[in-house]
Amino acid sequence: MIGFKTVRELGLLGMNRRNAEYLLPRNERKLYPLVDDKLKTKDLLYTHQLPAPELYFVINHNFEVKYLREIKFLKEFVIKPARGAEGRGILVIQGKTGNEWRKASGAALTMDDIEYHVTNILAGLYSLGGTTDIAFIEYCVRSHIVFRPVAYQGVPDMRVILYRGIPMMSMLRLPTRESDGKANLHQGAVGAGIDILSGVTLGGVHHNYLIDRHPDTNVPIGGIRIPFWNEILETAAKVYDVFQLGYFGIDFVIDHLLGPLILELNARPGLNIQLANREGLLPRLREIDALGPGVEELKWERRLEITRKIVGKAGARLTGN
Amino acid sequence: MNRRVYLLAFFLTALAAALISIKVIHGGQAVSYTPANHLWRVNMILNVTGQGARAKVRMTLPKKTPRQIIYNEHFEDAQMSFSITDRAVTGNRMGYWRSELLDDTRSIQYSFSTQLTSEEFFIPEDLELPKDPVAFYPQDLQPWLNASELIQSTDPKVKKLLKKIIGKDKKTYLVLRRIFNFIRGEVKYQSEIGSKDAKETLDKLVADCGGQARLFIALSRAAGMPSRMVGGLIMNESVKNITHVWAENYIDGVWVPFDTTNNYFAYIPNHYLELYRGDTALIRYLGLSKLEYLFSIRKEKMPPVDNPWSLYVLPVHFQASVKFLLLIPIGALVVSFFRTIVGVATFGTFAPILLAMAFREISLGMGLLCLGVVIFFGWILRKILDALKILVIPRLSIIVTMVIMFIMVMNVVAFNFGHQNILYITLFPMIIITWTIERLSVIQIEDGTKAAFKAGLGTISVSVAAYYVMGIRELHTYLFAFPELLLVVMALLLLLGRYTGFRLLELWRFREFKKIQRRDIL
Repeated sequence: MIGFKTVRELGLLGMNRRNAEYLLPRNERKLYPLVDDKLKTKDLLYTHQLPAPELYFVINHNFEVKYLREIKFLKEFVIKPARGAEGRGILVIQGKTGNEWRKASGAALTMDDIEYHVTNILAGLYSLGGTTDIAFIEYCVRSHIVFRPVAYQGVPDMRVILYRGIPMMSMLRLPTRESDGKANLHQGAVGAGIDILSGVTLGGVHHNYLIDRHPDTNVPIGGIRIPFWNEILETAAKVYDVFQLGYFGIDFVIDHLLGPLILELNARPGLNIQLANREGLLPRLREIDALGPGVEELKWERRLEITRKIVGKAGARLTGN
Repeated sequence: MNRRVYLLAFFLTALAAALISIKVIHGGQAVSYTPANHLWRVNMILNVTGQGARAKVRMTLPKKTPRQIIYNEHFEDAQMSFSITDRAVTGNRMGYWRSELLDDTRSIQYSFSTQLTSEEFFIPEDLELPKDPVAFYPQDLQPWLNASELIQSTDPKVKKLLKKIIGKDKKTYLVLRRIFNFIRGEVKYQSEIGSKDAKETLDKLVADCGGQARLFIALSRAAGMPSRMVGGLIMNESVKNITHVWAENYIDGVWVPFDTTNNYFAYIPNHYLELYRGDTALIRYLGLSKLEYLFSIRKEKMPPVDNPWSLYVLPVHFQASVKFLLLIPIGALVVSFFRTIVGVATFGTFAPILLAMAFREISLGMGLLCLGVVIFFGWILRKILDALKILVIPRLSIIVTMVIMFIMVMNVVAFNFGHQNILYITLFPMIIITWTIERLSVIQIEDGTKAAFKAGLGTISVSVAAYYVMGIRELHTYLFAFPELLLVVMALLLLLGRYTGFRLLELWRFREFKKIQRRDIL
């Protein structure tokens, strides 16, 4: 356990404060659907020429499940629910042998299995609040070679958290055997803080425990230089102009062919990013709020400058005493 | 933002306080509250033990009369069916608790407040006894003139005694005085187990209140006066199971009380509570192996609030469900507390409340056992259905059906092994349990068994906490008397809604920061 006082001194952000002081006042309710519905997100990203994995096709209703036959020509693809909560219901197919497909973990799936998964998605089994949902099939991202040593199956992604349009903390999320190739921390993936200035990873976190090596591959997590880091930060700052959410996270992946792509947005980003970065969010949030109103209206270049400024400052203050 | 919330919370609390004070000042239906009032609170507790058969308990309840005002009545039915009926001849108000099968010990509680006043009766000196009482008194008073099993008014010995006491006197007042004085003077008081009848009292000349009253009534009836027994309770701050009886004679159109034991002639003091009329028992029962009762009497502190716009005016069988409804916001408060202050994850927001309410009906241990068994089998079934690839809605319906079938089987099995209280499992929130099974299996597949187990444990611990809070008896009484308290619950929820501090479990979640902090200091 850790005392109330220590937590406050470290500037850690708790769930209640995140919800009451940052999410509720900063994120307009009507904007949530744009983020919660991955299809809407994708649509908006396309129209603003922001990079995202290509959408193959959408299944809206049960009778359309028969169109799934089309996928027999596909070798690699991902099936996702449009409104899946906490990364649930995502099926990653990475190969085909005969009439069977292979998951990232190597498990074989028949056409029946895939259709069943899609009907479950449509019925809303994985969605927020259990309402009926839409399934879509998209391009299967293959991870950049840099991550090959640390990634266990699956594709690592980079989460960047923006507050009032300013990227202010980021982490690399590495799938593990436990997380079944998924990059969600609460499903057992590893998070590694990224120094937002240099794009180099720091130590990691696994299930609230600080770690330095990947639990499956035993490779050190720190010291990885993320490729395209500046491009990622720029894209993140531009995404704010489209979505206008005051506090949200962007999940990037780096495809071995296409480079950085935006996988999804998250209007309720988790708090473990603080453990991954070994630093609380509050000092940075306060630095940004200290800049007063109007920060949101600045051009993205200016906002990135602010990132560089406040990250240095907040960090210095934390280690300075 | 915060200031507005605090203001609203304060406003709600103030509103509740204002409404409650208005209610208190305005008072109840018949009594209004002044500290000088002589108000009593009586709590009747009946501990009944069944013998695995149909059981019935009958108790006479106090009636409202001009000198005896009953208010703020509370009934706890102890999961038995409860009803009230008025008897024809005596006018007694009977409360019946019935259970088709009673095999355990239940605690039936009935409590009420009362305001009592003393009353003195004036008997005209020149009033004479009627020559032919049977013809003189109307039909409905006849039962109080005839001899009964324990009041042998036609017995020659009684008649002989009466003649000896009153001689040739025909004046009502004098006759009564002489009967009263005879018993006061000749019959010695002695408390005993099981009262004597009139004749035995006359033979032994030693009796408790019952024997004395019976002799008084026998003599009165023999003299041609309608007379009957009154049973009641003497008020003093105590816990007791002793009741008192006295006599009541019909004179000049009114029933006039006489208590030879405590020497009250045509007078009833302000600490006498009347419970029943006629030579009957306070409590009768069938199908019980044991019954214990006691009265706990204390000065009433809660003001009378049973005005026509309170919940007290609702019929008794509705009151029970209203009490149940009033507990839901309390349960919600407990759940909110655990989620925002402690940070426990649960399946859904309201599942813990419904489970806690179901546990209140069965019992905690049995409820948890049944819940565990139902969820375990439901989960296995869900695994099987998963292999068959069934669409979600039909699959949920199949699980609901199976859950209900399973509960039926449990009922029959439990019945055959003599565990009747499991029958209340029918009150389980089936739909919620079905959804829980579904969510549990999704979490188990997606996030692993540990996460599913954690959420399940969270749900159960919050339900258990809600179970205990919802079981506080004072909460039942005060919420029923002052449903305005729900505004205070709302105010508390508002404050919880603006709690931005850390959740207790976050301190555990962020515990590894200790290491970093130490590193920084070095």
